[in-house]
Amino acid sequence: MAKIGHFVILPNLIPALGLVVAIFRQLSWFFYQQRRRYGLSLLALLIIAFVSMLPPWITGRVVDAMAEGQLTSGLLYRYLGILLLAALVSYGLRVLWRITLFGASFQLGHQLRLQIYQRLTQQSASFYQQFNTGDLMARATNDVQAVEMAAGEAVLAMFDGLLTALMVLLIMTLFISWPLTLVALLPWPIVGYFMWRFGQQLHDSFNLAQQKFSELNERTQESLAAMRLTKAYGREQVEWQSFAQVAKEANQANQQVAAVDAKYDPAISLAIAASFLLAIMLGAYLIEQQQLTLGKLTSFTLYLGYMVWPMFAVGWLLNLLERANAAYARIEQLLNSPISIRPGEQDLANPNPSLELAITEFRYRPELEPALLQLQHQLPAGQLLGMVGPIGSGKSTLVQLLTRQLQSDSANICLAEQPLAELSEAALAQLMAVVPQDAFLFSLSIAENIALGRPDASQAEIEAVAMVAQVHQDILAMPEAYQTQVGERGVTLSGGQKQRIAIARALLQQAPILILDDALSAVDVQTEAQILRHLRQQRQGKTTIICCHRLTAVEQADHILVLDHGQVVQQGRHQQLLQQPGWYQQIHQYQQLQLLVEQGK
Amino acid sequence: MSEPAQAKTSQLDSQQPSLEGVFARLLAYARPYRSQIIKALLLLLLATGLQLSGPLLIKVFIDDHLTASHYPWWPLALLFTAYVSGQLLSAFAFYRQSLAFNSVALSVVETLRLEVFAKVLRLPLAFFDRTANGSLLSRITNDSEAVKELYINIISLFLQNSVKVLGILLAMAILDWQLMLVALLLIPAVLTLMFAYQRLSTPVFQRVRSLLSDINARINESIQGMSLIQQFRQQARFQQQFSELSHGHWRTRMRNLLIDGLLLRALVDFLYLLLLIALLQRFGVQALTLEGAVQIGVLYAFLTYLGSMTEPIIEMVSRLNLLQQSLVSAQRVFVLMDEPEQAASLAEGVAYQPPKDASLLFAIDEFAYQPGRPVLSQIQLRVPAGAFIGIVGHTGSGKSTLMSLLMSFYPISKGQILLGGQALTQLPASERSAWLGLVQQDPFIYRGSIRDNIALELPLSQQQIEQAAKQAQLHEAIMAMPEGYHTQLAERGANLSTGQRQLLSLARTLARQPKILILDEATSNIDSHTERLLQQSLAQLRGQMTIIAIAHRLSTVQDADQLWVLHQGQVQQQGSHQQLLAEDGLYRHLYQMQQQEQQVAL
Repeated sequence: MAKIGHFVILPNLIPALGLVVAIFRQLSWFFYQQRRRYGLSLLALLIIAFVSMLPPWITGRVVDAMAEGQLTSGLLYRYLGILLLAALVSYGLRVLWRITLFGASFQLGHQLRLQIYQRLTQQSASFYQQFNTGDLMARATNDVQAVEMAAGEAVLAMFDGLLTALMVLLIMTLFISWPLTLVALLPWPIVGYFMWRFGQQLHDSFNLAQQKFSELNERTQESLAAMRLTKAYGREQVEWQSFAQVAKEANQANQQVAAVDAKYDPAISLAIAASFLLAIMLGAYLIEQQQLTLGKLTSFTLYLGYMVWPMFAVGWLLNLLERANAAYARIEQLLNSPISIRPGEQDLANPNPSLELAITEFRYRPELEPALLQLQHQLPAGQLLGMVGPIGSGKSTLVQLLTRQLQSDSANICLAEQPLAELSEAALAQLMAVVPQDAFLFSLSIAENIALGRPDASQAEIEAVAMVAQVHQDILAMPEAYQTQVGERGVTLSGGQKQRIAIARALLQQAPILILDDALSAVDVQTEAQILRHLRQQRQGKTTIICCHRLTAVEQADHILVLDHGQVVQQGRHQQLLQQPGWYQQIHQYQQLQLLVEQGK
Repeated sequence: MSEPAQAKTSQLDSQQPSLEGVFARLLAYARPYRSQIIKALLLLLLATGLQLSGPLLIKVFIDDHLTASHYPWWPLALLFTAYVSGQLLSAFAFYRQSLAFNSVALSVVETLRLEVFAKVLRLPLAFFDRTANGSLLSRITNDSEAVKELYINIISLFLQNSVKVLGILLAMAILDWQLMLVALLLIPAVLTLMFAYQRLSTPVFQRVRSLLSDINARINESIQGMSLIQQFRQQARFQQQFSELSHGHWRTRMRNLLIDGLLLRALVDFLYLLLLIALLQRFGVQALTLEGAVQIGVLYAFLTYLGSMTEPIIEMVSRLNLLQQSLVSAQRVFVLMDEPEQAASLAEGVAYQPPKDASLLFAIDEFAYQPGRPVLSQIQLRVPAGAFIGIVGHTGSGKSTLMSLLMSFYPISKGQILLGGQALTQLPASERSAWLGLVQQDPFIYRGSIRDNIALELPLSQQQIEQAAKQAQLHEAIMAMPEGYHTQLAERGANLSTGQRQLLSLARTLARQPKILILDEATSNIDSHTERLLQQSLAQLRGQMTIIAIAHRLSTVQDADQLWVLHQGQVQQQGSHQQLLAEDGLYRHLYQMQQQEQQVAL
């Protein structure tokens, strides 16, 4: 199918030229940066273009010398010597341009990836809501590759194709015969027109084939999704027939593509054959007229063979540039996206601060209901605070405000009277460690995952936090203990194991404030109790906030906030809340029953 | 408390046929098209022969006419006509052979697709549980598409190019066989070069690819874990690591580039020039020694042939990688085709005893998805024909599994289920599906109208369809829609509510008039309105057919003749709603828990 791009865009040559200018101007910073590599490769290509004109020329001279009977042994070997030299020089230069030119374009890919990666590390959650992972990945992979090709293959097609064509045309017209050149090249525009027509036909039938292929995909997907139904109703035959129908249509559409596609090669062969025939016919006439020699005609036909590649190069070039242009625009959009994290400047004044919440209201968007309303709370340093409430009660919003993933002027959070918003990133990271809802592990070793925030932590420190998080024994049972790799090339961990490793990771930070955001959901009740017991010992004098669904996790809290619809509806200690009629009491009864039912009682 | 860490295994890649075997098996698919292939081959020979005759004709022109300055009218007209008609005919023959090869290739792909799809339909459901639909999809569509590449871009190209190279050598031999031998040297030289290149480049190239996939994986993972990286302030470290990775990729690519540069085009061009030198040297020496006996036309023809000899060889060798890739794709298709099939039912057409009534007997000693982890054990239960049985239990109690076994979705290794006195395994699938009608909670909705979705492939009258919809308490809802039964449903039934989808599934099943109705409502994902409609429907159907309802919500089935309460794969309690409520046990606690659930928002 590669041929499509070559010919479809040929008629749009003028806008296409604009494209060339546009993408090369955008990449000019890179061409300047890599000017040595590009300079060398262009120089090499230029010399090759000259040198490669020699073999046809010399062949013609030898033929003439033979025809006129003037060939001497000395002359022959001098010519052959020049040819050998030309062969050696072009070999060396071809190696050189390839390494310099593609070396430069690979460098562009490397640099663009780095820039993208760097920008990604500067973006916050709102950015990642705007661009999904698939989209970002497409930009960092396919788009980078397309731009890379503009800086390599496209430069090659442009310079090599253009240079060769120009040189050959010059030599053919100036040194051999311009009428011969004109006549011999006559078939090419005609074939070009047919190519263009085939291109359009191919485009249409290719679209149809693509459409049939996606129908086939959809049909198959549907069948796979309906497998239970198919089995239950015994509808296998019906499904098969409908698949067979689409498969047949896909075949027919592909046959149509093939019918057009099969015309290309014969058309090109015909063009070449016609070109040669015309050259020989007019050449013979010119020789008769004493305006041309047989040797020059031989050279001429050899040069004619050189014209085939530039014809293709133009279409290829435009195709490459079109892709690169769109790709570069997408990369630019990513690289120019405003940095969404705006940290403050201040250091933390108090190493173990109290926490003051003064939230009048918080809305995600002005037209939405407030997610939090009138939430005031003072949390002295060193306390254990529990936060519970039904789904959508505002717990997660509060955690995101505490960790500064969300910010708002009407939601004030202070640390010993120092506004959270004014803290620098470094201070915030020192202050808080968070265990998020979905424990995420990198494809690193377990030890590296635990030591994520402190790569210099000792093995003893790592093991100590793993023990607190009740995951040490699990890790020891793994094939390479703490060095076991996580992820695709390593082990797959259960949800509970991931959560406990995430807890260990946060504990290693030894931050004054630790927030567990529903981080125990996949851990069973007994393990949860053990983790909490160890946690209280370890975090003596430091603040811990536990946000959870299961009440057992907050039974020992110094204070519990019950949220509903963004407001605090109940608060106090576990025993106090149990006495009050309300959500807390009801959910407690429910969870007790659930416990019974799970045990089969 | 330690949970076992599982190493990921992909079931599909367990045993793989060898690539040679795959190739042979693929070729076998072309056997039915033998005559078409022979025709294409003959066309190819004709086309190549005619094409290569061109330079020979020009040689005749140069030597007999041009150098001799001799232009008789008729022979020249003949030469001209031969050249023009030869080239035209050659182009046409090329076109036709290309069509013929393509047609064979595409038909093979279609056959392969039909076979693999038929195979997928025969696979047991257990297979679909452990295989992602996405990977199956890509085997059925993409991998079979890669087989097309193999036929068109590899086999057919190899044929074309080898015929061309051989033809050129033949034409050269006609002109001057000694010179042909010189040109012949090019073939081993280029082949040696290419194989040397492959040896050197393959490991480097694979390294480049694996580094690139590492880079992509790293970006992907970093995007997912970005909030963590930022929270732990590791941006600089991750950037550094990424930079090292990407730089390593660049360095490896540069090494590959050096190999490419030294060995590929540049060296082939160099070899070509060496041959040119040899050619000129030979002609020159001839001219020096034999005085004027040199035929310039021969030189001309040789030059033309030499110029078109290297390209086909390079093309062939450079496709070897593609060959490897398409064979790997074909291999994936064949692995799927060789999956063991379900042996849980009698083959169609074999004589069997039909069930005598709509009663059921469960006699399951043990059932496990994975060995050593039983999901059901000691299930001994009888369902009289026409009874209404409710199966309840907490999440994970095994009630859905029981339903799956009843539908023969999984084979039972220890035990059996009898339908009207006959073991389910002793009935053909068509007989089973005529007796048992399953109502899924979230059924599959096809694109099409409501009517089509109820009737599916059955030739039902409007009256029968409405009857089924009325029985399922869906008729009124359908009539309220703008186009009634002809309302078009969106993909996956997005314009229906969850409850309506479930009722549609009920109507669809009732339209098939099963003798045993199996209702699967295993999650709490049902609104009270739908639940009421379902209850009404079941009340009306009661007595007309045996009903087995699996319910998460106890209220759906509290009118059942008997309730089975499952816990950890065993029947813990049995009895009517009232009886069970009177006992202090699991059912009562379940009931209380659900009452509580209604009061509090979770």
